[in-house]
Amino acid sequence: MRYKRDERYKRNERYNAINAMNNFRANIMLCAGTGCVASGATNVKSVLEDELKKKGLEDEIKVVLTGCNGYCAKGPVMSVYPDDIFYQSVTTEEIPKLVEEHFLKGRPYEKLMFKEPEKKSAVPLMKDIPFFKYQVLRVLRNKGLIDPEKIEEYIARDGYQAAAKALTQMTPEDVINVIKDSGIRGRGGAGFPTGMKWEFCSKVRSDVKFMLCNGDEGDPGAFMDRSVMEADPHAVIEGMIIGARAIGSHNGYIYVRAEYPLAVKRLQLAIDQCYEAGLLGKNIFDSGFDFDLEIYQGAGAFVCGEETALMRSIEGKRGMPRPRPPFPAHKGLWDKPSVLNNVETLAQIPLIIMNGADWYKSLGTEKSTGTKVFALTGAVNNIGLIEVPMGTPLKTIIFDIGGGIKKGRKFKAVQMGGPSGGCIPESLIDIPVTYEDVVKTGAIMGSGGMVVMDDNNCMVSTAKFFLEFTADESCGKCVPCRVGTRILLDMLIDITEGRGKESDIEPLEDLGRDIIAASLCGLGQTAPNPILTTIRYFKDEYESHIKDKWCKAGVCRSLCTFMIDEKTCTGCGACMRACPAKAITGEKKKPHNIMQEVCVRCRSCYETCKFNSIRILPASAREKVIW
Amino acid sequence: MSGSVLVVDDELVVIKSCERILTAEGYNVDSASGGAEALRKTEKTSYDLVLTDLKMPGMDGLTLIKLIKRANPAQGIVVITGYPTQETIKEALEMGIIDYVPKPFTPAVLTDVTRRAFQWIKGTVGGEKPKDEFPPAMIAELDRVIREYKNKPGCAIPVLQRAQEIVGYLPPLIQKRIAKGLNISPAEIHSIVSFYSFFTMKPRGDHTVRVCLGTACYVKGIETIIAKLKDTLMIDVGGITADKKFSLETVRCLGACGLAPVMVIDHDTYGSLTQKKAVDALGNYASLQTAEMSEGDESAAGKGD
Amino acid sequence: MTRLTIEDLLKIKEKHQAEFNLREGGYRAKVTVHMGTCGIAAGARAVMTALMDEISNAGIKDVIVTTSGCAGLCAREPMATVEIINQPPVKYCDLNEEQIKQIFKEHIMAGTPVEKYVLVAGCETTY
Repeated sequence: MRYKRDERYKRNERYNAINAMNNFRANIMLCAGTGCVASGATNVKSVLEDELKKKGLEDEIKVVLTGCNGYCAKGPVMSVYPDDIFYQSVTTEEIPKLVEEHFLKGRPYEKLMFKEPEKKSAVPLMKDIPFFKYQVLRVLRNKGLIDPEKIEEYIARDGYQAAAKALTQMTPEDVINVIKDSGIRGRGGAGFPTGMKWEFCSKVRSDVKFMLCNGDEGDPGAFMDRSVMEADPHAVIEGMIIGARAIGSHNGYIYVRAEYPLAVKRLQLAIDQCYEAGLLGKNIFDSGFDFDLEIYQGAGAFVCGEETALMRSIEGKRGMPRPRPPFPAHKGLWDKPSVLNNVETLAQIPLIIMNGADWYKSLGTEKSTGTKVFALTGAVNNIGLIEVPMGTPLKTIIFDIGGGIKKGRKFKAVQMGGPSGGCIPESLIDIPVTYEDVVKTGAIMGSGGMVVMDDNNCMVSTAKFFLEFTADESCGKCVPCRVGTRILLDMLIDITEGRGKESDIEPLEDLGRDIIAASLCGLGQTAPNPILTTIRYFKDEYESHIKDKWCKAGVCRSLCTFMIDEKTCTGCGACMRACPAKAITGEKKKPHNIMQEVCVRCRSCYETCKFNSIRILPASAREKVIW
Repeated sequence: MSGSVLVVDDELVVIKSCERILTAEGYNVDSASGGAEALRKTEKTSYDLVLTDLKMPGMDGLTLIKLIKRANPAQGIVVITGYPTQETIKEALEMGIIDYVPKPFTPAVLTDVTRRAFQWIKGTVGGEKPKDEFPPAMIAELDRVIREYKNKPGCAIPVLQRAQEIVGYLPPLIQKRIAKGLNISPAEIHSIVSFYSFFTMKPRGDHTVRVCLGTACYVKGIETIIAKLKDTLMIDVGGITADKKFSLETVRCLGACGLAPVMVIDHDTYGSLTQKKAVDALGNYASLQTAEMSEGDESAAGKGD
Repeated sequence: MTRLTIEDLLKIKEKHQAEFNLREGGYRAKVTVHMGTCGIAAGARAVMTALMDEISNAGIKDVIVTTSGCAGLCAREPMATVEIINQPPVKYCDLNEEQIKQIFKEHIMAGTPVEKYVLVAGCETTY
């Protein structure tokens, strides 16, 4: 089934999301690309805002700065939504007339309306390419624009002004109130409101407190934190300075995975530059506020993404979680009050301080405000790091931004939340991506990994893959997690190797629920999610593995037989060349054959065949074939 | 004591004083005033030990060490340097020097270091390196790291990380030395080493191949790549090749999912792997002339697209 | 760098913007080579070196070459962004050394984007 695109519906949806909180009648999207700024966009903005105020329209119409639309030669350009009218060469002199005509009289100001150039350029523009068109960058605001190794470039993009504001013009309570108001929730996975976390910690009295950043990014399939630390390290540091000020901390650590050498290098460089510039250390901005920050390199343990385990690890011990309460806000690192925030959360804190809570809330939904970065990988065409407003439909992310499934194959599921998450099937692809809606499917938002799977992926072995991960990474402290995940894994291995019994599915679900209820930390409490969601949405696959001994995707080697369809095989020989076991025989231009006793079921022929002539049959098909 | 020593330094004074001190101790001393000359001499004559300065005009000491080690990995080398910065010493250590003498030095220091170096050479020459023994320079560097971190809270993990950088792995002897130095029980140090996947108690090869096991790599068939690497190197995951050139490891996720399937060799990332690309990448690090390598390469070419 | 005051932040911003503004700084073009982990793995360093070579061979002084992080579309790295006066920034993808040389000749020197290698023109909305 091909997904049909409905442009107008999509576009309205995005701007509805933007308008959700503010109820502006219209938005003026003014281009603030280099070209338009050079031709006077900054002046246009202030004159435009003055004019709107003069006419009493400032509460109805909002001016929003956007990225470059590619019409630099006609700049400054702007478009008005929802009317969808595009104006070019806007000068300050024309603005009073434009505002009067368009916004008071309600008719487009034709003089400045965009005229289609006679000769169309062959170079595509951002708005022509869905990958860029639906994105809104906040966390990734400096992506590809600044040199992360130069502090001046960060400062030139308004860097450290938020820290200056928070330190010199705001009280810690002010800072906490703005963050609370903005509704931002922790981007590490569970989505706990950041402002509340800060408030708890700020109220605890202690001389020593710790401000910590979680850059451990353990979820396989997620890489946004690495990218932010590599591309914009100063944004993370600035967020930490502001957070430290809010909770009254003077010491901080950034905990980074040892697998991210480039991130460590760039963060260290950024920290050194900050000390040199007096942005870290004593008396920052002459405010009397001191903050020291250092990097702590992790040593490879998934469980260290859990906050109490991470703190144990910084203490130089085995990173094992401990029961809560007491919460880290009271007793954290070295038993001192501590706050741990995720990289992506911290990188947006400066923006919220600069632009205010209302600005932040203007994107997203009521309970999930702002934008979210996703690492889009797997079977989609456009693999990469994207940022969209919360509430963007999953379908838009996968089929528009992601460009659909590779080689025109069929979408099967999207895995969200890593080993703690679950697989969302095609039937739920219309959900808006928010914390609440994703949880309802049985997956979690997690840190934002989205691994797209097509019909080449077997859901039972996907569940097995994640269980292998959690069983291996379980720290071993509590029994439900240590023993329980092992038993689940053994059961899944049995099923994928053809030893599954029909009575196996129910115990899998029961044990899964028990592990969730009884485990000590988030790792165990979420470990069964991949199994539970795949059973929920792909029970038929489990059943066909167990009853028919048939893995239809051809992934579980014991449960499939590869055969060549004689009717469609053209005898091109491609599969013969691809076969590593030399199991395929046949003359040129005549249908080929797979020798089952030699075949290792590696799928090479299946992947290679251009004519779809390789069939995947149940394991029993092998016995029926007489050679 | 007897044995032959080549002293390399651009300052005649240093050469003269080394000659005087070491000849008195019974060594045969030869000298070279620069890297190029030293290299010619080592090619013609074999010396038990080479004492070299690092900062010299023309070919510098690090380059000399690299070239000597390339021709004769077993050559014993001690560095004399007026600028013992951590970086250069670390680099020299990684190339396998035995020890270093900071300039200026007293005759006692020079004879002492030379004697220890000869003991070390005798222990290693003509057989495997004795177990649980490490060059004095390595131990000295380790002790320096321990002293540097000793009074910092939570220092065990950073010290272990640095120790692994210096020694290459964390055998019981090193763990015990760290435990003693940091005043932590050896059991606790061992519990940390065994908990974190980053630490290894087995030696690694010259080049470490780390293959990503992340979800994206899994979806894109990393398993076939691992199988190919295992075949080619003829080792299992966690193993080290017979010629000690490569060790093969897996890692949870390299965070480079956009490039899946992906692996890292030392510090270089290789993305969008196919079986052939993975084998080709190995060739960038060690010559493909060993039997297993060329065989692996041929079969890859034969089966390839 | 000495300790920064709040006024310094604004001064640095203005100075930097003036210097790196193509028109005011008197530059012909600005090229950003994207060097995140993905870009480097895909060969961004070779692309960067080839570009620097071309520039020094041509004896050009008015081109800014800078590096930056990942441009977002990891699977299409190496990527580079070329900006010249009065034209939208153009992102190129899947680059190699030969292609960047051609881009240098045709786009940076002559002002015509090399259409076959272009991914997109413009830059994303940040707000």
